[in-house]
Amino acid sequence: MIELLLAAILVLAVYAMLTRDLLHGTIALSALSLLSALAFAVLKAPDVAITEAAVGAGVSTVVFVWAIRATERMEKQ
Amino acid sequence: MIARILVGLLLLTGLATLVARRNLVKKVFGLAILNSAAVFLFVMEGAHSGQGAPIVDGSALQIVDPLPQALMLTAIVIGVCVTALALAIAARLHRATGSLDIDVIKERLGNGHD
Amino acid sequence: MPTRLAALASVLAAAFALWPLFALDVAWPGTVRDYLEAKGTVESGAMNLVSAIYLGYRAYDTLGETVVLLVAVTGAIGMMAAGSALAPREAGGAPVEPARSPRREARSRQRTELIAALSGKLGAVILIFGLYVMLYGHVSPGGGFQGGVVVASGIVFLALGSHGAAPSPLVGARNLARIESAGFAILLVAACLGVASGKGFLAPPLPGGDPVSFIIVLNAVIGIKVGAGIGLLCVAMLTEEAA
Repeated sequence: MIELLLAAILVLAVYAMLTRDLLHGTIALSALSLLSALAFAVLKAPDVAITEAAVGAGVSTVVFVWAIRATERMEKQ
Repeated sequence: MIARILVGLLLLTGLATLVARRNLVKKVFGLAILNSAAVFLFVMEGAHSGQGAPIVDGSALQIVDPLPQALMLTAIVIGVCVTALALAIAARLHRATGSLDIDVIKERLGNGHD
Repeated sequence: MPTRLAALASVLAAAFALWPLFALDVAWPGTVRDYLEAKGTVESGAMNLVSAIYLGYRAYDTLGETVVLLVAVTGAIGMMAAGSALAPREAGGAPVEPARSPRREARSRQRTELIAALSGKLGAVILIFGLYVMLYGHVSPGGGFQGGVVVASGIVFLALGSHGAAPSPLVGARNLARIESAGFAILLVAACLGVASGKGFLAPPLPGGDPVSFIIVLNAVIGIKVGAGIGLLCVAMLTEEAA
């Protein structure tokens, strides 16, 4: 179970590293946080799961989207 | 064991994003991934020592170690602060130089000051 | 390309250095766990041992974390304000600015009515849930930091529901800043009360009282402070671009 979730998280992290569209990377990181929260709940850490879900999927996505709108969306080659 | 290797790979992915990409927002992605990997390592290792959540309510299950969870809780909140501060600095640099590329920023700032 | 090679080399070096951490199979030390399971609830009064640690055994550390939070939010908002104040004077940024504004307007028109209606209604529910998580942190999963970030995401939802304009006055940037400073001041006063009553810094001040009441108070204060701080950051970032 944990291995499966971790594999999905790793795929999302690699996608966030490689994609040229920063907005797509932000959404991948948000999904990564959500899967992490699920994994923490499985690992018997409900406090960490609540925090990770609220911070990773909510607050940090807002911060990244603000930064992308204030600057530029595509990573230039 | 497999889970631990996967966490290690996640950590290396974060590090690679931090050092190999030149875009500043990408570097912050790397910081966020590194933070996630560290949190994951602590929570996962702490969970080996029991079966129940660390809440003493008279159930028979042996609880997991609450200490790494308490440490990681604050680490997550501080992590989002680091992200916000780093992105504010990146946006400020973009305003000053018109680019997020670290090489271009270095070049334009260097020309302005010399 | 040398940069790419250097990056690859540093990642390989990190893999080599971290290899023992991931490969060695050393048993996790159980001393702290056993002690906390036996004595944690009695000594701190909290059934949730995570709360018992970060508000009981390591409360000083928690105070430091709230200071870090305060400094980071101040720095980020200060950086944003400095950026927008300096923008017209930047020579290098001048050709970029006018070209961007029409595109930005087109983008903000894409925000649909659906998101505004839904997130505006959900915001209040999430705020209530955050308060619950905050106040019942001693008996169930939750506490100050957890409840605080849930409250912050509730504030984000309220801000999204008000079309990017300033949300209701309670969650306006100015009020949130006041709430955060007041929360931090109350936290410091609560920490010093223990000194006044002769029990020590951050100790429960009331003589003979159940220590859990102090944990509930600290949970509420920290939750409100963290929620206001992170909420302030998000509201500033969400409304900055509409202004």
